Amino acid sequence: MGADSTENAYFRRASRWKFIVILLIVALIVTMIISLNVGYAHISFADILKILGKQVPILNGYVDSTLAALSPDELRTFQANAGIILQMRLPRIIAGVVVGAGLAASGVVYQGVFRNPMADSYVLGVSAGAACGASISILFGTGFTVFGLRVVQVAAFIGALFAMFLVYNISRVGSRVPVLTLLLCGIAVNFFLYSIVALLEVIAGDELHAIVFWLIGGFSNPLWSDIWAVFPFIMIGIAISYFYARSLNLLAMGEETAQHLGLNVERVKQILLVLASLVTAAAVSLSGLVGFVGLMVPHVTRLIVGPDHRILFPASAIFGSIFLVICDALARVVATPFASTLELPVGIITMLFGAPFFILLFRKKKESYAL
Amino acid sequence: MNTKYVIATVFIIAVIAVTAFIYVYYSGQTDSQLEALLNLVDDTKYKTSLDAIPSRIVSMAPSTTEIVFALGLDDKVVAVSNYCDYPYDFSAWIEAGDIASIGDFTDPNMEVIASLDPDLILATGGVQAPTIDTLRDLGYKVLVLNPADINGVMQNIELVGNATGKTAEAAALIDGITNRIDAVVDKVANAESMPTVYYEVWYDPTSLWTAGSKAWQNELIEKAGGVNIFADQDLEYFQSSAEAVVERNPDIMLLPAQGMGFGEPFWGSLDDVKARPGWNTVSAIQNDGLVEVDSNTIARAGPRVADIIEDLAKAFHPELF
Repeated sequence: MGADSTENAYFRRASRWKFIVILLIVALIVTMIISLNVGYAHISFADILKILGKQVPILNGYVDSTLAALSPDELRTFQANAGIILQMRLPRIIAGVVVGAGLAASGVVYQGVFRNPMADSYVLGVSAGAACGASISILFGTGFTVFGLRVVQVAAFIGALFAMFLVYNISRVGSRVPVLTLLLCGIAVNFFLYSIVALLEVIAGDELHAIVFWLIGGFSNPLWSDIWAVFPFIMIGIAISYFYARSLNLLAMGEETAQHLGLNVERVKQILLVLASLVTAAAVSLSGLVGFVGLMVPHVTRLIVGPDHRILFPASAIFGSIFLVICDALARVVATPFASTLELPVGIITMLFGAPFFILLFRKKKESYAL
Repeated sequence: MNTKYVIATVFIIAVIAVTAFIYVYYSGQTDSQLEALLNLVDDTKYKTSLDAIPSRIVSMAPSTTEIVFALGLDDKVVAVSNYCDYPYDFSAWIEAGDIASIGDFTDPNMEVIASLDPDLILATGGVQAPTIDTLRDLGYKVLVLNPADINGVMQNIELVGNATGKTAEAAALIDGITNRIDAVVDKVANAESMPTVYYEVWYDPTSLWTAGSKAWQNELIEKAGGVNIFADQDLEYFQSSAEAVVERNPDIMLLPAQGMGFGEPFWGSLDDVKARPGWNTVSAIQNDGLVEVDSNTIARAGPRVADIIEDLAKAFHPELF
């Protein structure tokens, strides 16, 4: 009887999880469509549908027939709008989806492995490593590309992985990696690498603004090639990490308990940290340092769906996408009511709107809160 | 009396008079010049008075360096900033020890400045403001040149002329610049149409920056017979949406060619600009309107303002030149 009711409870929960994930995916798609409609240029929804329809083989002919009726001026506007939708807004939205999912998912992993609510996707020095790599490449190596990718992107990625590698090896004691030393080494390496970034800024001269703009973060004008370069890292990283959701649940009970329950703790930690760092490195190489997503999104998701990583992990990733796509849409249009073409770096929006939202949720919940 | 003595005396007096005249002339201590040294009001509305014509000038910014050298004060300048590169290659001078460097432009080295014992310091606003306050507290005479427009540059030249006993040179320089700008303005007034112009401050995958109506470049574009597509934005430099550029469809895109001969400009090559996603319908890209400009000349509010306006006018209205 006991086994039966446990099983029933599990199936009920699992079906509820499926429902949540489907709901979130629908929400993400709706968000993407709405944000496709949001921007400085006023493009009607009908026009957006036409522009998208033109890309679909079967609808193509129909759209062309409506375009034939347009005057040359209207046709130029339509083509400019098509460029704006397909080449400007759509890449931004996809970049938001990919980066948001990557930062949020790795945030869940770091918080789970470290069992520390303050851990985020930058905790292992990844942000500082990326910043350092990007700054060095801006100062000494702009202008050439590696496999068709911008050198800044590649350098940020390598810098991030290097920092992670450094932190991991410094804090290793024999074959074990205690989380406390990892955290402390992460902080130390962060400071060290940021001091190098500061040093580079001082000697940068003309290139200073390039470094500063990169550090502010954002993805206003991403190329499709930039996105495709990071896409596999983030998606594969997230997919593999998902299979360790149960291990994260065990780790939440403490490393010793997890070990006694049959989990190879050190090995799982290694795999998860490498995966999460890879995902974060890929994400920041595309967007620069976008703050708060990796810290806040897992907490907010935890408040809503509970602490079980089997639902927390996928829900956080999708919610991270939704959050970043909304923030980027806001960044594009906050100033337009004032007849301004001003655009804000998305990192400012994530923190400006994210923090109050976060605090509000906490105030509402009021219960005690645990990882 | 012996006529010999009379002649000798007259001769000696004449020599003394000429020497005195030469001395007064070269040390610049005529009454009008001394008067000009009093109550100098700079762009921070701060009033400075000098006791004598300065002979040890520290120039802390590229724009101030261009002004002092345009006024022929070459041998009075004892230090420049690490960003100064016109009219001479100062980094080579600094390396050779011919002139001192104040250290970093954004964070000047106070001890170096003090050790040079300057009697006049020329600085600019913005990042140098805290340094200026400290220098003034220490009793140094600092003039801040932070002009908002071309008129402001002319006032700056006049101010530096007054402060250094070069009033006549300053007036001549101002006349020359003003006449050249007026000539351009007269010429482009005949143009049939004014091209719309986009000035690019920065473009990369993370952001796009441009210049609004309060930016220095806005006036340059106007004088040269163009219309800044962001003239309706009551801002200096700002991060703009790329969509706005495409929608406003500029005829000319001004691309600063990162001076210094150091790496590629931020926008890469002209082919990269043409290949920007979603920009293919922009008039400047379709009709060969991409114009490279010297980033230092267009960014510096200094005596080369007439040069850049002439260059821009030729790019905007090639049929008139």
